Amino acid sequence: MSRSPTLRDAALAEMAAITARHPQHFRALPPTRVKAGALALAAIMLLTIGLWRLDFAPSRLIDGVGQLIHFLGLMLPPAPGTWSRTLLIFQGLAETLAIAFLGTLGAAIIAFPLGFLAARNTSISRVVHFLSRRVLDGVRGIDSLIWALIWVSVVGLGPFAGVLAILTSDIGTFGKLFSEAIEAADRKPVEGVTASGGGKLHGIRFGVLPAVLPVMAGHVLYMLESNTRSSTIIGIVGAGGIGLMLSEMIRMLEWDVVSFIVLLILAAVGVIDVISGRLRAALAGRR
Amino acid sequence: MLIVEGLTRRFGDRIAVDDICLEVPRGSFVGVIGRSGAGKSTLLRMINRLSDPTAGRILWNGRDVTALRGRELREWRARCAMVFQQFNLSGRLDVLTNVLVGRLSQVPARRSLLRLWSAEDRAIALSALERFDIAELAPQRAEHLSGGQQQRVAIARALVQEPDIILADEPIASLDPRNTRIVMDALARINRDFGITVLCNLHALDIARSYCDRLVGLSAGRLVFDGPPDALDAAAARELYGPEADEVVDAAPCAPVALPFAVSA
Repeated sequence: MSRSPTLRDAALAEMAAITARHPQHFRALPPTRVKAGALALAAIMLLTIGLWRLDFAPSRLIDGVGQLIHFLGLMLPPAPGTWSRTLLIFQGLAETLAIAFLGTLGAAIIAFPLGFLAARNTSISRVVHFLSRRVLDGVRGIDSLIWALIWVSVVGLGPFAGVLAILTSDIGTFGKLFSEAIEAADRKPVEGVTASGGGKLHGIRFGVLPAVLPVMAGHVLYMLESNTRSSTIIGIVGAGGIGLMLSEMIRMLEWDVVSFIVLLILAAVGVIDVISGRLRAALAGRR
Repeated sequence: MLIVEGLTRRFGDRIAVDDICLEVPRGSFVGVIGRSGAGKSTLLRMINRLSDPTAGRILWNGRDVTALRGRELREWRARCAMVFQQFNLSGRLDVLTNVLVGRLSQVPARRSLLRLWSAEDRAIALSALERFDIAELAPQRAEHLSGGQQQRVAIARALVQEPDIILADEPIASLDPRNTRIVMDALARINRDFGITVLCNLHALDIARSYCDRLVGLSAGRLVFDGPPDALDAAAARELYGPEADEVVDAAPCAPVALPFAVSA
């Protein structure tokens, strides 16, 4: 059977001519590759310097593994100890979940309008846009643990300080995430609303909001998961929840209680993970 | 020779493609026509195995390709290149790399994943781009190109696969009349110069008539017409397109059309 000439034959027959016509595609070391190589080299050097400066010692890590195995042995089997302590642990867990829930929800409500002010396309003016951006950056720059320490000294020990800590640090995070979702929203629906005689608020309400609301809800659900974890930590500095109990048990070397609490937290986070995953899938499907 | 035997595809209780039998000799330019939703896309996607048939077989030179898996399936896909309505290029990659994607089945993964294309592969890709007068766009990002240019890049990608068949799924549906000509001419040239079989889904009958040497008509998933373009008379077109027939047959876009209020889709 006679085959037609293939593209390969044709290309190879005039390979020299093609190379001559497009020399930039046949360079041994294209500029982009040189740039990428230099960047990779710089990153490796930075990493090496960092490891050296921070006394990175693999031998210490290997020695520590023995200690870790010893503790793991003490952790088995996980046990809460007395009944009264079990009750306290579950109360602490409930408090932690409540802190995470209230903190996340409060932060989302406050960050909702801020997100629109901080988004370029929906802000009132460039000054407002700039200022709200910087305020959000500042709030976000401080970790929730630091906020917990600040709020504990303002309103005293307890879960109230914990809620405030989660709320303040998350306003920054939500404000940033929301404003980015708004900026990434398609402009065409807004143009459609504007062309029909709608004002700026109409454009936001009917053009932007329907597109970004599911995205925002997804962010809130994700942060709820993440805050369940971080609100255990802020408990350690006295802002309520199961963290206080956890740090006490570590200090008292009651390793079986520690492992019980850790497993409980894992289970709680897992349950919230599953629920919010379902909710997010449902939200995405409804679009 | 491509042979399709009793090919059927169900989505739930809806039948998208219903018991289609087809023989396509090497080198032919076949237009698959019919209304939207008639099963044209599903048919082409099943031949490329992007979607799997519920029943029936696809044979290439006597070999059953419906059961291929893994490496063999990838080789088959390279042999029956696909061209999409929405071009399906990687928008942030440059044009040359998009075309070189067509060489993937020939290049070992350790080279292709690092984008270490041989000079030979680059020459093949540039030669394909030169054929469609877009070699100077090679370093640009694909997303910055016009629709007609993007579709030519997609055809170049298909061509460097050195395929036996090109499956074009509504390649001109997103293009203006001028680019429609350019893209259809590109497909016709591939067919003529390299003897590559072209199976092209088309909605517009006038385009199908002027480019294809054989038309296959689908309606509600069934094969209702198979023959040369001249054999498709007004009655056959009416059966294929139903109430849309008048628009599709005499496509005269400039003539004012009295719009009925309810067009049954």
